[in-house]
Amino acid sequence: MVQLLIGQALNGVIVGTLYGIIALGVTLTFGITGIVNFALGEFMMIGAYLTWYLVDVAGLPFAVALLPAVVGAAGCGFVADQLLFRFTRNNLINGLLVSIGLISVVESGALLLWSATPKDMSYVLTGSVQLATISLPEMKLVVFALLAAVILLTYAALSRTWMGRAAYAFAQNAEAAMLMGVKTARLQSGVVVYSTALAGFGGALYASLYSLEPAMGGMYILKGVEAAILGGIGSPLGSLVGGIILGVTEAIGSIYLPSAFRDAYGLVFIVGILLYRPSGLFGSDR
Amino acid sequence: MIKALMWLSAVSLMATPVFAQDVVKIGQIEAQTGPNAIYGYMSSQGMPIAVDQINKAGGFKVGDKTYKLELISPDTRGDPKEASIQLKKMLETDGVRFVFGPFLSNVFVTIEPYAKQFNGKFLLMGGATRIHDFLGKPDHDFLMRTWNWDAGPKGFGNLMVDRLIKDTGAKKVALLIQNDQGGKVLADIYLPMFKAKGVETQIEFFEPGTKDFSAVLAKLAAGKPDILFPGYSDAALYDIVRQSVEGNYFRRFFLVRGSLGPGLKNKDQIDDYFVYVPKYFEAAEKTDPKVAKFVADYKAFYKRDFPYDQAPLCSSSCYDHVFMLVEAMKKAGSVTDVAKIRKALLSMTYDGLWKISYDEHGEEIFNFDIVHMTRGGKIAVTSVEAR
Repeated sequence: MVQLLIGQALNGVIVGTLYGIIALGVTLTFGITGIVNFALGEFMMIGAYLTWYLVDVAGLPFAVALLPAVVGAAGCGFVADQLLFRFTRNNLINGLLVSIGLISVVESGALLLWSATPKDMSYVLTGSVQLATISLPEMKLVVFALLAAVILLTYAALSRTWMGRAAYAFAQNAEAAMLMGVKTARLQSGVVVYSTALAGFGGALYASLYSLEPAMGGMYILKGVEAAILGGIGSPLGSLVGGIILGVTEAIGSIYLPSAFRDAYGLVFIVGILLYRPSGLFGSDR
Repeated sequence: MIKALMWLSAVSLMATPVFAQDVVKIGQIEAQTGPNAIYGYMSSQGMPIAVDQINKAGGFKVGDKTYKLELISPDTRGDPKEASIQLKKMLETDGVRFVFGPFLSNVFVTIEPYAKQFNGKFLLMGGATRIHDFLGKPDHDFLMRTWNWDAGPKGFGNLMVDRLIKDTGAKKVALLIQNDQGGKVLADIYLPMFKAKGVETQIEFFEPGTKDFSAVLAKLAAGKPDILFPGYSDAALYDIVRQSVEGNYFRRFFLVRGSLGPGLKNKDQIDDYFVYVPKYFEAAEKTDPKVAKFVADYKAFYKRDFPYDQAPLCSSSCYDHVFMLVEAMKKAGSVTDVAKIRKALLSMTYDGLWKISYDEHGEEIFNFDIVHMTRGGKIAVTSVEAR
């Protein structure tokens, strides 16, 4: 039983980083543009399908396919920003409506292009790492390392580069940041595009672990939003921690309780945390 | 000038009903998008081909009139509320008398109370498992089920379980089923069936949309069952089978819903993979000219590859069923007398991609295949004549 618990806790950590990367996109977009971009799950789906296409159809190695898939998702993010999101800046309701509309459009487009038949990409790594009696798939460990690295690098870039500090400054006081020379329109577009690139990266790695279907983004954006709220909106590290807590809670909850209500275990945990820390684990109390 | 316009209007008004009578509208309520689109996908792909072929051939003749078909096929997205609105529009506004679908039980149980108000005025022909419970009940003559039933002496599930026990000697089966109407029905059917045959069971349900099954697979594997019986759509099965073999939880699988695809993908890691396949198209295409023609027609119509792994689902409310309905209308000598057309459907056997007939309650019976794959992808196909 202990081995089962440890194994699933580790699995929860790995799955949680996938929630974390979407949560990071959610938290960045909300902090800088004032909208909750529910369509981020769709950019994840785009990244996943592009990866599948480049690997299984075009025959590229997975490592080579990652970059164009991320660029493709970011490119779609740029188009969406210029055509739609830039008109909804700092308007939560309009942004929400546009992002929900975008979900329908992108999902229908994916269905038209790739049908509802699940796509299961050629396996990149098939082996497992054996820790005593615990078996962890090698690909999951690679995905965990890559996602955690990207989240931590984003955190470092936000706290140690001029651009990152400009983003923080803008999130705290947009007018003051503008007066200090921060090019706000470019910053906002940049953050939207970067968030979609993160989602695309998450999607590309997701494709190496799970089967793809056009509706896949829906569940992950909900987890991403949950993780962002749990970790504290505005905190990149909080996104990672929030995602991991969510992943571990679901995995452990499924062992002791019926797995049919797995999603609820994370939500109950969030409610419990938010009762004591309304701004999330790493969120500012301001 | 005014007189000419009045004449023109009068002629137009007279012409409209004549034109309307020459078209038979058929409806379809299936999920074409959304998490369960996989169950509506093939139906919504097959019906337009059949309608196109019938219309391009000049339509069909009933009595001394020639009719063409008009297909109304909105997307329910698997949402029962959406499906209810669409069905209401079909029945009350569009004047549709023949509706195909739904395949999803949660959609069916929502539309059923409304649909039964139109008993005797239309036919609802769907594959949803829950439809079985209402067949032959008072006020439910409108219902026909377009899918083989699992249980009963000749039920395909019953035959498959017998085959499983005979071939593997399984004594304990773990069921991992989606937590929705369809999944609950599967549990209701198969738990007593296994028990009656002396096979021990353990069961877990999972939420629709789940992608990571590691935790629940580990939990089930701890009970040391002989085989995993996962359900029920490929969207989940690809992940369940992969994670089962990667985590070394299970290597033997038994499926009554879903395709061969997940097994083939992991063929070098599995020991046994039993699957109910209404038709194993890959093999049937080489031996049955009707199947080969359908595959070619599909490719020409949609200008894309044929979805071999989804094609077996065309056994429900799909291509054959449109032709069968047309034959029934011809036999009944009417395109509007629903009772006569239903009677004609119940009395006929249609020999298309499948050999289709109905039992006295309106449940479909068709020939099917059991595919047993072993390590390395070695496949043995057993064709079963259900009647």
